[in-house]
Amino acid sequence: MSFIPGQPVTAVVQRIEICKLRQCDNLILGFSIGGGIDQDPGQNPFSEDKTDKGIYVTRVSKGGPAEAAGLMIGDKIMQVNGWDMTMVTHDQARKRLTKKNEDVVRLLVTRKSLEDAVRNAMV
Amino acid sequence: MEECDVHSTASILASVKEQEARFERLTRALEEERRTVSLQLERGTLPSTASGTQSLAWQQMVMQEQSPSNQTSLAMMQEPQEIVEETVTIEEDPGTPTSHVSVVTSDDGTTRRTETKVTKMVKTVTTRTVRQVPLGPDGVPFPEGSSPLGSYTNSIDRRFMKNGERFSTPQATSTLTRSYNNYSDSYGETPEGPYRHYGLHDGYGDLPDSYGSLSRGVNYRPRYPYMASSGYRPENSYTLPIRKDDYSHVAQPQVPLGGTVDLNRSQPERFQAEPYGLEDDRRSLGPDDDEPYDLESDYSTANRRTVGGANHGRHMREPPRVRGGYEDPIEADLIDDRHPYMPNLYSAPLAQAELGSLASLDRMGPMGGRRSPSADSVRKDPRWRDPDLPEVIAMLGHPVDPVKSNAAAYLQHLCYENDKVKKEVRHLKGVPLLVGLLDHPRPEVHRKACGALRNISYGRDHDNKVAIKNCDGIPALIRLLRKTSDMEVRELVTGTLWNLSSYEPLKMVIINHGLQTLTNEVIIPHSGWEQEPNEDSKPRDAEWTTVFKNTSGCLRNVSSDGAEARRRLRECEGLVDALLHALQSAVGKKDMDNKSVENCVCIMRNLSYHVHKEVPGAEKFQEPSTNQAPGSVGPQRKKKDDAGCFGGKKTKEEWFNQGRKNGESEKSYDTLDLPKRTEPTKGFELLYQPEVVRLYLSLLTESQNYNTLEAAAGALQNLSAGQWTWSNYIRATVRKEKGLPILVELLRSDSDKVVRAVAIALRNLSMDRRNKDLIGSYAMRDLVSNLPSGQQRPAKNLEEDTVVAVLNTIHEIVTDSSENARSLIQAQAIEKLVAINRTSQSQRETKAASYVLQAVWSHKELRNSLAKDGWNKTHFQPTATSQAKGTRSNKPAYDDTTLPLMEKNQGNKKSISGDMIPMDELDPDGYSTIDQKDKDCKYKSGDVSSDLAEREPLKNDTNRKQFVRTNRPAVNLVDTCDVKPQPVDSWV
Repeated sequence: MSFIPGQPVTAVVQRIEICKLRQCDNLILGFSIGGGIDQDPGQNPFSEDKTDKGIYVTRVSKGGPAEAAGLMIGDKIMQVNGWDMTMVTHDQARKRLTKKNEDVVRLLVTRKSLEDAVRNAMV
Repeated sequence: MEECDVHSTASILASVKEQEARFERLTRALEEERRTVSLQLERGTLPSTASGTQSLAWQQMVMQEQSPSNQTSLAMMQEPQEIVEETVTIEEDPGTPTSHVSVVTSDDGTTRRTETKVTKMVKTVTTRTVRQVPLGPDGVPFPEGSSPLGSYTNSIDRRFMKNGERFSTPQATSTLTRSYNNYSDSYGETPEGPYRHYGLHDGYGDLPDSYGSLSRGVNYRPRYPYMASSGYRPENSYTLPIRKDDYSHVAQPQVPLGGTVDLNRSQPERFQAEPYGLEDDRRSLGPDDDEPYDLESDYSTANRRTVGGANHGRHMREPPRVRGGYEDPIEADLIDDRHPYMPNLYSAPLAQAELGSLASLDRMGPMGGRRSPSADSVRKDPRWRDPDLPEVIAMLGHPVDPVKSNAAAYLQHLCYENDKVKKEVRHLKGVPLLVGLLDHPRPEVHRKACGALRNISYGRDHDNKVAIKNCDGIPALIRLLRKTSDMEVRELVTGTLWNLSSYEPLKMVIINHGLQTLTNEVIIPHSGWEQEPNEDSKPRDAEWTTVFKNTSGCLRNVSSDGAEARRRLRECEGLVDALLHALQSAVGKKDMDNKSVENCVCIMRNLSYHVHKEVPGAEKFQEPSTNQAPGSVGPQRKKKDDAGCFGGKKTKEEWFNQGRKNGESEKSYDTLDLPKRTEPTKGFELLYQPEVVRLYLSLLTESQNYNTLEAAAGALQNLSAGQWTWSNYIRATVRKEKGLPILVELLRSDSDKVVRAVAIALRNLSMDRRNKDLIGSYAMRDLVSNLPSGQQRPAKNLEEDTVVAVLNTIHEIVTDSSENARSLIQAQAIEKLVAINRTSQSQRETKAASYVLQAVWSHKELRNSLAKDGWNKTHFQPTATSQAKGTRSNKPAYDDTTLPLMEKNQGNKKSISGDMIPMDELDPDGYSTIDQKDKDCKYKSGDVSSDLAEREPLKNDTNRKQFVRTNRPAVNLVDTCDVKPQPVDSWV
């Protein structure tokens, strides 16, 4: 998932649609994110490329909507409802995911196993 | 293949069911058919041995599904299989419609072979289906063991079959009576040898098996290839006429050839060549058999009857493979030999299956999927290869939709960042074909074609853009935009237009064809603007979609095409309103660093250029004082604008508190003779209404995007230029809205172009006397700090244009204001000015500095203090010539203050920055979402690069205290080295 600035990046992505769950007043997705361009990418345990400042799924709550939708720990979120998540601050990503007026978020995520699967399919 | 089988299982089941139902209907139809056929029976010269009832029934179905007008042509298409005699019979017939029917009935068994090829990367699935219609000319329906259905049921992997076996398959031969002989004759001339199986006859026996192995479901509807595909995707049926059209241009040239015997003979040779070119036996099998179907359009014509039956059949079969040759003699051999199956790509049941399998991977499908299938085929058959470029381009004209779309998709991939391929595509005449596909009714076809065009249109090679334009690609794109509601297609269309719009000569074409459509279809809906706002609902926000970004980028480019383009855009209904609404929404949401906002601001800026001259009715607002000499303008204006409000010189506090002094400000408005508005402003009038000042100032305050900053400053610069009522009002409004400090702060920007635009804006604003005083007092230091000291450039290393702009602004504010001149001296500017005047490498800088020095020296009351600092008259005299004096007196009034005055005097307009405001041309290459081999990664391409470019400088900015803004997210970028923040982790 590393990229050279200015160069297009190709990634194998999966579309995941999560319906938010209403908990009291809050709409929750049931996962947590780490990363962002304002964070130290070196501390991201999930990225292969330690300069990757993308948004990663750090935890997925058991039985939560995200898990049901197939989101996995370590997934890199590429887009949220069409918004790019590869060059955003942590907070921007969080806000984008927690819009009160959106009940559904559509993610494009990439993960290593996806790419491996595709690679294997090609062999 | 296993993969294919798996995927097609479901579809097979489904189609079997469907077919059972159909059989019922068909058996009913059969009786009727028999009656019709009986007429023909007498006429039939050849006994048909193999006719399947079912197939007949199927045929009937085909007919039923076609529109009545198509029946004839369908019948014709079936003919190729006919023998000579049969055709003759028809001729003898008085031409009653029934004769056609007889032809139809003659067909029975159908064999098909399907081949699937998936190109790498783009999920190009090429499917070849070969069908054979064994004929019973008389059409006695007669289900026998050898009927196609029988063979279909045995699904045998074709690869395990020996060619020879197929050839000898009894069913196959039995279906061919005399017609068979004819074919053999033609083959006889060519060395058949091991390649016998390529002959038609082989196909009969052979195909069913192979086909069965691929997808059994398809086999049941086989007579007519198109029908087969329609079975899979019912919507296909309507594409039939189009296929004809598409194909006809390719196939037609063959018609004249049809009658000649020579041709028949020569063709077999080509035919033979194939096996060599294509080693893949799967491919080599099919080509001939499909032909008849391809040629429908040609053969349905009356002249076809005059052709001998044998020739006829032969032609029908041949054309596809040689079609390349007819089309383009140069490529003919290539296409013909290497890619014989191209023409044969019929419906692609397999392709569908592939798609289905990929669907699980979702959009990355193209990416992930694009490799696997081809890799798959490579594994299965090491001899498999990718089609080369001419082949791919030829496939664009293929009658079968999936082939077209896959070819286009593959082309898109090939063209990705490969200028050489793009050029080649152009030379191979691929562009008109792609443009033609834009009007194709099927989404995947026009989508893929558009994707290919977007990649082709991208880049510095303008010839590609011109090629698209020359085949009416722009109207076609616009049509597609109007027609489609598919977001992805819209993105592609607008992306292509954005690319095209970067080339000067195409701008007006885009305006002529697409301006109103782009506005109505994209800009207005996505901007959230509503023509008649619903009082109850709150205004909608703009949506920063890719479509909007692309479209605004396109309009941004075309808006720089001169006065006429500006006029068209201004007068385009709803455009200005929508853009303003979008920007206001951006400001409201504090979301203004994106590309769409940048594009919108740039359009606004360009449209604001020369409003005071170009807008209809502008003359009504011209200030009578405009033609006066600058010296006398100042006081007058002062009187006008500031009457009573800002009488004396303001303190610094007042400067910053102006906004609060509403009472005063209101009063100052009153003193301006504003035209009374009877109805709400709309359209281009909005461009120069004082309300926009606040919008631009918000952008200048909040945005971190240099392009946006530059454009917003440029808009103010344009609006405050000129001598008409509105610019007076704008100048006062900027002051009232506390815009001057905002602008002054931006003089410290690290971006050269921002500094330049701001400097010129300040110069225009200082035409207002009050502004001049304020700017002189508070901006002088920042202006001077942008000047290079002698040969040493300042840290920012501003461009010549910027330095000249700053000098011109200084000149403007010290002219007629000894107070400002004093500020200049206090800012230690004289030393810098003298240094520039004496040592600068740039003549323009030298001159501009010289004018400033002269202006300073002209304040006699300052000479004493200047002398004390060690300056004397010689420092203030022009070093070059004394021309300066003369030119200064010529200095035109402030009629066009977007032009730095000095430059104008020198007749050197061209190089000056202010002059070129509309130049804000975005090279789409830097930004456009272009291409990607697959659309999935588009979110990564353009955005990332531009974001990086724009954000990187933030590190520097944040070191400058003045420039740190609270909303900058960049704090951690700077701090990372010192503090390692714990990774943040937020539940969402």
